[in-house]
Amino acid sequence: MGNIIEIRNVNKIYGSTVKTQVLHDISLDIEAGSFNAIIGESGSGKSTLLNILGSLDDPTDGYIRIDNRQISELSKKELALLRNETIGFVFQFHYLLPEFTAIENVLMPYKIKGKKVTGEIMARANELMEMVGLSDVKHNLANNMSGGQQQRTAIARALMNNPKIILADEPTGNLDSGSTEVIYELMRSVNKEMGTTFITITHDQRIADKADRIIEIVDGRVMESRRPALEAV
Amino acid sequence: MRLSLQIANRFLRFSKGQTILIALGIAVGVSVQVFIGLLIQGLQDGLIDTTIGNAAHITVSTDDSKGIDNYSQIINDIEGSDLGITAITPSITGNGFLKNDETSEPIFVKGYDLASAEGIYEFADRISEGRLPRSNNEVLIGIGLADNLGVLVNDTTDIFLVDGTLKEVMVVGFLDFNVSVINNGWVVTGIDTASSLFGYENAVGTIEIQVDQVFEADAIGAKVAQIVNNDKLIVDNWKDQNAELLSGLNGQSISSLMIQIFVLVAVVLGIASVLAITVIQKSKQIGILKAMGITDGKASSIFLLQGFILGIIGAALGILFGLLLSYAFATFALNPDGTPVIPLSINYNFILTSGMIAVVSAMIASVMPARRSSKLTTIEVIRNG
Ligand SMILES: Nc1ncnc2c1ncn2[C@@H]1O[C@H](COP(=O)(O)OP(=O)(O)OP(=O)(O)O)[C@@H](O)[C@H]1O
Ligand SMILES: [Mg+2]
Repeated sequence: MGNIIEIRNVNKIYGSTVKTQVLHDISLDIEAGSFNAIIGESGSGKSTLLNILGSLDDPTDGYIRIDNRQISELSKKELALLRNETIGFVFQFHYLLPEFTAIENVLMPYKIKGKKVTGEIMARANELMEMVGLSDVKHNLANNMSGGQQQRTAIARALMNNPKIILADEPTGNLDSGSTEVIYELMRSVNKEMGTTFITITHDQRIADKADRIIEIVDGRVMESRRPALEAV
Repeated sequence: MRLSLQIANRFLRFSKGQTILIALGIAVGVSVQVFIGLLIQGLQDGLIDTTIGNAAHITVSTDDSKGIDNYSQIINDIEGSDLGITAITPSITGNGFLKNDETSEPIFVKGYDLASAEGIYEFADRISEGRLPRSNNEVLIGIGLADNLGVLVNDTTDIFLVDGTLKEVMVVGFLDFNVSVINNGWVVTGIDTASSLFGYENAVGTIEIQVDQVFEADAIGAKVAQIVNNDKLIVDNWKDQNAELLSGLNGQSISSLMIQIFVLVAVVLGIASVLAITVIQKSKQIGILKAMGITDGKASSIFLLQGFILGIIGAALGILFGLLLSYAFATFALNPDGTPVIPLSINYNFILTSGMIAVVSAMIASVMPARRSSKLTTIEVIRNG
């Protein structure tokens, strides 16, 4: 399979008077359908890299191709469309819309696409809720669920439009180890069954070890990029 | 658009207290506006009505003591034009005295073609006792005059003029116009009686006209002068005769407009500041919606729509409050005789305009938050937690 994301010589410098270089000349290829873990010390630049990989942030220089489109050449509308159709995000602080119920949150990416919610789409949303094990609480307002439930809802939401890529920034950072396990199992099974590419930041070595590939960031540089599963076998 | 509306709706319902507060703010502004507007309008309508309701708007008169002899031709010509004339009547007026056994009172004799004068003066509705004159030498007199002289309906009495002319007339009814000058001084009769009293031969003193568009009376008067086309005749109109009243009303309108503008500015500033806070409160949501691919345009329309919805609710409530306030004022603020101090004058156009201005203002107030929402990026939101 080809690469779903390619970045070349990416630098990120914060500040204009006092300049802090956070990413140093990073080049990376992410293979379509792979499950990737980004690890590294706090402040090493993981989130910065992930946000650039997901087109949420602009690099200071270097180029990014996502799904064969060069990001710097896309208009704001095309970029919005790319995010809507190709990428799903799961953040550490889940960020559900508290004004909407769980299932409404899951449907949101589809509604943003601007199409009518058909019975078929409704069935898909219900299926996703079922898959993340939340059928019972799907009509709860987002805030009336536990942290783990909210995070699972966020994953269901990220999956709604069947994106090619899911980016997750410490999705289990706030959860106990039991919930963490459940969520990574879920992500892994989606990856296997639907071929969705996953890139997730984690502090948990056990989780990282289950990935196809570990990308370790040290002081804004890719130090190591290995395939733990293959080595382990 | 539908999604933006749905989100706007949810945002508003989720922060109920805030929503109610803004809507009430708009409502108070609109109600003040509606109330003051209607009050001033009622006041002005009342003033105008007493000034020109039962009076000629345009008069054609002459300095010639023989009067206007071709008056029926002139009336025909004016009636034949399309100037929006609602009533036109020849009249002969003059001063005199009405005599009783012991006393006499100064009077103002008004002789009309009573059928056509009805269109201006509505004598039939003003008769408090008796009937309209039907034949020569029958008169209606003001009710105050009747009181002062102790005259009863069907009494005969004398009118005399300073030149010594004396005419016996029969009082067939009393007039009550609620205006003391008229009630205490007018003697109304047919045109023939007046013409023989004042010695006009086949002529009248004045032609009195009422028009549809009262505030166009000066312009219509100028056109009447063209039709009449005779420099011996003087065409006058109520606006020129009441210039002071009109400039007073104008000043009042301007000050009422100023009040309304200031209320509006206060409302807009209020909404804008609350909505600006809302956008900050909702920045997380906007950020996540943008990560899901909502366009900047849709993100900003959420706040424009919030402004629109708030404007609609506020305007509706405000119009309701304003009308209630106006009704209450007209019902409870009464003159000693039980009539309202200021008569209620419901101007639907004005009310609708006030409501629409409020909606537009609310939307203008939401432009800044909408722009902020458009510019907000996901990265700002996740960076700031
Ligand atoms: N807006 C900013 N302006 C200046 N410096 C920034 C900004 N955002 C991040 N940084 C700096 O960039 C570096 C990398 O930040 P980043 O959030 O990518 O780290 P991280 O690896 O995700 O850390 P953590 O594990 O704690 O989440 C840090 O030193 C941080 O202080
Ligand atoms: Mg981070």
